[in-house]
Amino acid sequence: MSRAVVRVGALVALVLVARAGRAQGVSGQVGIDAEVIGQGMAITSLRNLNFGTVIKGVPSAVLPTDAAAGEWQVQGNKNATVSIVFTLPTRLTNVQALPGSTMPIAFGPTAALWNRGTNTVAGATPFDPTAGTTGKFGPPANPYIYLWIGGTVTPAATAKPGIYTGTIIVSIAYL
Amino acid sequence: MRRALRFIPILLCATRLGAQGVVIAPHALFIDGRARSGSVLLYNPNTEPVEVSISLLFGYPVTDSLGRIVLRTIDHPDSTMRSAAGWIQAFPRRLTVPPLERQTIRLLASPPPGLPAGEYWARLVIAARGGQAPVTGVTDTAAVKVGLTLEVRTIIGVYYRQGAVRTGVAMSNLRTALAGDSLVVRSRLVQQGNAAYIGTVQGVLTDPTGATRGEFKAPIGVYYTMEPRYAMRIGALTPGRYWLKVKLTTEREDLGPEVLLPSAVARDSVEVGIP
Repeated sequence: MSRAVVRVGALVALVLVARAGRAQGVSGQVGIDAEVIGQGMAITSLRNLNFGTVIKGVPSAVLPTDAAAGEWQVQGNKNATVSIVFTLPTRLTNVQALPGSTMPIAFGPTAALWNRGTNTVAGATPFDPTAGTTGKFGPPANPYIYLWIGGTVTPAATAKPGIYTGTIIVSIAYL
Repeated sequence: MRRALRFIPILLCATRLGAQGVVIAPHALFIDGRARSGSVLLYNPNTEPVEVSISLLFGYPVTDSLGRIVLRTIDHPDSTMRSAAGWIQAFPRRLTVPPLERQTIRLLASPPPGLPAGEYWARLVIAARGGQAPVTGVTDTAAVKVGLTLEVRTIIGVYYRQGAVRTGVAMSNLRTALAGDSLVVRSRLVQQGNAAYIGTVQGVLTDPTGATRGEFKAPIGVYYTMEPRYAMRIGALTPGRYWLKVKLTTEREDLGPEVLLPSAVARDSVEVGIP
C-alpha cells in the first residue's frame, strides 16, 4: 500500500515533460527545457472487493470498513471538489459455469465511505454508492481522497459452484 | 470440517492489487478555436499494463436542492446548450499503456461552420482497467467464490474557445444558517458572458472588532446558475453580530493564468447573528 502511495505521489514529476532540444541562436548550443502541463489526477484501485468463498443459501456481506472492502485512492488538486459516482452491478456472473448462472448483489445506503487526505476508515464519511456524493481533496500535504465500498451477495441455495464476478466502476469528475 | 477450515484464510484476506490506474495531466483542457486541437498525457506508474478507453460526453456542474455540487450529464444536448461533445474527437480511443510508460491522447475539434463566439464544453472520460482477475486459484470445484473488479473513470473538463470569450458571475441572495459548530453559507451564482466562470470562492466571518472567526476557500466553476453550500467551522462564538464577506475571483491555484479568463471580483456580505 505505502509503495503504491509513494509511487503515485512521485508522479508530480510527470507534469514536467522534457521536450526535444532545439538550436539556440548561432552558438549551436542545444538546450533542454521543460513544459509544465499542469497538475495531474490519478485514480488508483488499491484493492478489489472480495467476498471470498460464500455459503450457498446464506447472504454474505462485506462492510466498507472490512479488510475485504474495495478501495481506491484518488490524487488530485488540493482542496478541489469532485463528483464521485459509482456504476454498480446488480448481478454477478459465474465465469466458470454455463451462461445464465448469476448471483444478486446489493449495496446499502452506507455501503461506501470516503475520507479526505487520510487512508483510514476511521472518521470516514459514509454515503450511498447508488446515489454518489461529492468529495474534497485533502490539503497540500495530502491531496488525496480515499474511497471504500462493501456490499452484500445473496447466493441461492442452488447456486452453481465457480467464480462469480462483476465490475464496479467509480467515476471522478472535477467540478 | 477440514474443507471449511481450508477457506478461512481466503475469507479473512482481501485480494491485494498491484495498484492500477493512470495519471492524467492536465485535469482541464482548454482548446483554442484557432488551433482546434489539444492533448492529454497518460502515465502508467504501475507494473502492469493498463487498458484505457476514451470517450466524450456533455456535462457541467450544477447544485442540487441541498447545495451539493454534482455533475449533470446530458446524453442528447439540444442546440441551445454549449456542447462540444459532438464535434470533438479523441485519438486513439482505445489503447494499452505499458508499465512505466506514457501515451498522448490528441483531441481534434471540427466545429460546425458559423459557430458563434463563445466557450463550448465537453467532458473527456478516461476509463482505465487493469488486467487482473479478481479471484483466482479455485482449489475446490464445489466452492462458490465471489469477487468484483474495480474500474476507474476520470472525467476532466474540455473547454473550446471560439473567438472572443468573456466571463463573469453575479452573486445574490447570500444567506447563512447555523449547523452545529459550523456556519452554512449559500448564495445564488449566475454565470455572465459567453464562457464558464472558473475561479475561487472565499468567505470570511469577522467579529465586531474585525477579527476573523471563520473562513472557507474553494475552487468553483459556474456554467449556468447554481447555489452551492459551504460550511465553515466557527466553534463556539460569543453571542452577537458578525459579518460574513464572500468574494469570487478568477484565480485558481491549480490552473495557469494563461487559461483563466479575467473578470471583476464579485463581492457580497451579510450580517450574521449568533444567539
